[in-house]
Amino acid sequence: MTLPYLIDQLVNGLILGSMYALVAIGFSMIYGIVRLINFAHGDILTIGAFAGLAAFASADLPFPVVILIVLVAGAVVGMVIERTTFRPMRGSPQVTGFIASLAVSIILENLAIMILSAQPRTFRIPAYLNALVDFGPVSIRVIDLMIVVLAIVLVIALTSFVRFTKVGIAMRATAENYDVARLMGININRMIMLAFAIGSALAAVAGLMWGSKYGQISPLMGVLPGLKAFVAAVIGGVGSISGAVLGGYILGLAEVLFVGLLPPALSGYRNAFVFGALILVLLVLPNGLLGRNTETRA
Amino acid sequence: MLDLEDVHINRGGTHAVRGVSLTVGRGEIVSLIGANGAGKTTTLAAISGLLRPRKGKILFRPQENAPAIDLTTMKAEQIVAAGISHCPEARQIFGNLSVTENLKIGAYLRNDADGVARDLADIHARFPILHERGSVPGDKLSGGEQMMLAIGRALMSRPKLILFDEPSLGLAPILVEQIFEILETIRRDGVTVLLVEQNASMALEFSDRAYVIEAGEITLAGTGKELASNSDVQRAYLGAA
Repeated sequence: MTLPYLIDQLVNGLILGSMYALVAIGFSMIYGIVRLINFAHGDILTIGAFAGLAAFASADLPFPVVILIVLVAGAVVGMVIERTTFRPMRGSPQVTGFIASLAVSIILENLAIMILSAQPRTFRIPAYLNALVDFGPVSIRVIDLMIVVLAIVLVIALTSFVRFTKVGIAMRATAENYDVARLMGININRMIMLAFAIGSALAAVAGLMWGSKYGQISPLMGVLPGLKAFVAAVIGGVGSISGAVLGGYILGLAEVLFVGLLPPALSGYRNAFVFGALILVLLVLPNGLLGRNTETRA
Repeated sequence: MLDLEDVHINRGGTHAVRGVSLTVGRGEIVSLIGANGAGKTTTLAAISGLLRPRKGKILFRPQENAPAIDLTTMKAEQIVAAGISHCPEARQIFGNLSVTENLKIGAYLRNDADGVARDLADIHARFPILHERGSVPGDKLSGGEQMMLAIGRALMSRPKLILFDEPSLGLAPILVEQIFEILETIRRDGVTVLLVEQNASMALEFSDRAYVIEAGEITLAGTGKELASNSDVQRAYLGAA
């Protein structure tokens, strides 16, 4: 094994980890505020990828504008899912919410197949994003650098928002106790919707990244990354944003290194490896790496 | 300032409050005493908009000569904005938020950053421990400190009326005395207080007027002194033989 190969693998792991982290954040934020896992969250990644494809294809838009379009598309879909599915279910048993979000997922996937056909599509990105940048022994594509940088920027922006702004504090207060948050004058419906909007916007950007990185998208592309990001969120500790980021990067790096460093005969087991890791973490740390005691809402 | 007129509230499928009428005058400390489950907390929840009464009116007059507004049609956040703050049962500090964040979130609806900073300084002066422990998560405070934080948080919205739900619950007797003295100073600063208590002797001592609630109905009303010397009240709530 050569050094450039190892560096390549590490970069690939960081990229995959960035995407897992962005999707995992949404799982965690949404769980944190409604105590439910949104099983349709992976499908937001698909929607983001197709929104990105459409934005790239329709006009010669600069990359930041495409990112913005994808963020908005994800946020809107997230808010619609909250308003139509999660809000009417509020106060129902948890199982009801889980099943409802599973239904949303099935609806979204089949709608996508009906409208877009199940055929995978090529995700073309402008030539300048495909250009190579030389770093001594290795060269890295511009898009790959962008993915990692963008993920870090988004994570820092989100963490600062949640930590330091008034609305961020109000969101944490809502996640902890609806009634007392209302007594502070907080409109909890707005906070819950905001959590869905932010979480879904990030998942959509992950979809844009996925398409740009791997060059192919399809209506069911979000299922497996969604599941794995969920695993990342659980490993990090569901409900914790920093946990989701940590879990995402650990999982992305571990998965890529597993495939890249072990004999090719084993690489078919990459998914088994991911879910095996989940079982192991849950056995040792039931609350994940950074999770607090899981409590249910009173 | 606050008038409840024949208020009926359902809670958890039972008719928990059955036609309560009571009045709180500007600048008063009024207490509502009664046993566990008599409907005290439910009544407060309806005033602050957490529960909607099925019948009756809750009229609030923020200013002396302002028209009364009916709180039963308003959302919780509108009621906070109108000038009512609710310090909930068991303090309900946000355990994941720091002490300072807990105080700041009390001023969530205010946009006067300078005023908020001044009020924060006032509360720090009143409760220095909240300043010292400002960056500590709320759930790391002792019971007494949490009570001070809950009071401070309720004051941060600059309310005209504060609802206190069992502020003495679970506190050592010496702290209970202290908490009631704090209520007295709050009133002196011009904030009206409606208090719900099981600790009847303390509540009656500090209240101008009081109501006794039993099984969702007001059974007695009078000044704090009158009720403290009433033989039924003594038998039921003050532990007299």
